[in-house]
Amino acid sequence: MVTENAPASMYRTTEGLGVWEHKGKVAAVGVGHSPTTRRWDGTAENTMGANSIFALRQAIADAGVNPADIDGLVLDPVTTTGAHWPEGQEIPMDVVNHYNPTDDPLDGIAKLSAEWILKNMPELSNVKFTMYGPGCMSHAIVVAAQAVGEGRTHTCLVLKSWHNLDGRYNQAGISASDTVPGVFAMTPGRTLWGAPGSYGTALQFAEYCRKYGKSHDMMAPFMANSRRNGLLFPEGYWAQHRPEELTAEDYLNARWIAKPASLFDNDIPIMVSGAYLFTTAERAKDMKQKPVYIINHASSRGAQRSILPTLEEVEKETAETGRKIYEGAGITAADLSFENMYDGFSLFHQFHLEGLRFRGMQNGDALDFYQTDISIEGPNPVLPSGGNIGSGRSRFWMHTDCIQQIQGRAGARSITGVKPEIGVSGGPMPMGGNFTVWSATPD
Amino acid sequence: MVILISFDIDGTLEVGDPPGVLTMELVRKTQEAGILVGSCSDRPISGQRAIWEKHGIAYDFAVSKHQLPDVKAKFEADAYYHIGDREDLDRQYALAAGFEFFWPDEAVSEPWLK
Repeated sequence: MVTENAPASMYRTTEGLGVWEHKGKVAAVGVGHSPTTRRWDGTAENTMGANSIFALRQAIADAGVNPADIDGLVLDPVTTTGAHWPEGQEIPMDVVNHYNPTDDPLDGIAKLSAEWILKNMPELSNVKFTMYGPGCMSHAIVVAAQAVGEGRTHTCLVLKSWHNLDGRYNQAGISASDTVPGVFAMTPGRTLWGAPGSYGTALQFAEYCRKYGKSHDMMAPFMANSRRNGLLFPEGYWAQHRPEELTAEDYLNARWIAKPASLFDNDIPIMVSGAYLFTTAERAKDMKQKPVYIINHASSRGAQRSILPTLEEVEKETAETGRKIYEGAGITAADLSFENMYDGFSLFHQFHLEGLRFRGMQNGDALDFYQTDISIEGPNPVLPSGGNIGSGRSRFWMHTDCIQQIQGRAGARSITGVKPEIGVSGGPMPMGGNFTVWSATPD
Repeated sequence: MVILISFDIDGTLEVGDPPGVLTMELVRKTQEAGILVGSCSDRPISGQRAIWEKHGIAYDFAVSKHQLPDVKAKFEADAYYHIGDREDLDRQYALAAGFEFFWPDEAVSEPWLK
């Protein structure tokens, strides 16, 4: 079976499409996560592939589904956090052959194919549909939702895995090359050749502060709230390994990476896998967990005029994304119980929030909003998942949280100031990403 | 002679991630010998303090990587040492702040750490 990237036609990228034709007909039921680690320890038992299998089996068990009933698999084949297998470094074949390998020995270690998963999960004997949603879980989710809606699959696993290898972040791969192509050295390519990855966002944030009279210090309550929520997320890295708060003093004393982006405005790369089980609304009724209905997905494909997006371009794009999200779901901003937009980098979360017009906010309002009660106990919960700041770089905590909040399974992280009925999650970037609207009811 | 030692945590101290070669017991003995000790790490300051307190070590300072100059300004000493495992984040910061720099494995053989 050849697995291909999802065609552009599966993404809802423009305004004017009306209500999603599959609104409420697709549901998330099962959730699974691997344990988190900072880096791969080199053992066969703890590869990214092993984490993937663990998370998938958890999601299957969580949904109470017979694996033989699963007919679809959507995943992101790119698993790097910025860690690349060093050129010329010997690949440990004992690890490779611990599993049923594909033709590529790094499959399951530093990349992941649908073929590798199916070779190593014999219980998935009836998977007929596989597809890649390359980029992150946000991509894979909208592809899987659309696939279930279109009837390409009726019971579909969605997977995102991350590997992180020994050594420094983003100092191998292209960073170790003598030359780099095109304008790579001038872009925030997260390499030694260019500026830090966060510098584009930092420039937009600096302009945002100048335009609206705000300051980086005003981010501190948001950061503390995110870490607090993350520490209530038992699946997350900080909760599992270093249950440390991120106080205002901690945040304000961090060194700059790309001023005004500080160390803690950047997330920590980790090893982790997350998986969901999606199915039709009809089939979901008979499964173990309460269905969480997908009432829309929308994608952003913003085009920038130059090397970096300007603040104006970002604000225009996020506003358009907000309108697409609501149009396809047939709701308004007032219907949102909570939001879980992406935060890795933390300094662009406010662009997503303002684009959503969350709680009526307009451009320039978010940092003032952060000074109010944004906790899970309050009426305006902001990023109850804690996002990447709260739990490490997975780009999927926000999706898991939406599902768990609406299912009533968020535990100590449960929203109590407002009834969690409709949530939105997605990302990554304000100028490009994929977004999903989750609901307790199909309509 | 007043000596001040700044310890990086990750890759330097045994409690770091990854663990380093310097034990907390060694730090404790150093502090008890009258040397000013503290941490200079990318970890949150509150997290650094929590490590010292968890191990019952009376630390003198806990700062972020770029704050070594503040430490030097605050404490008067005859010698300022920083021990860390990174060229860019430890050695360069230390030298720029006027500290002498030691890698963890070479620091353990220095007389003030014995």
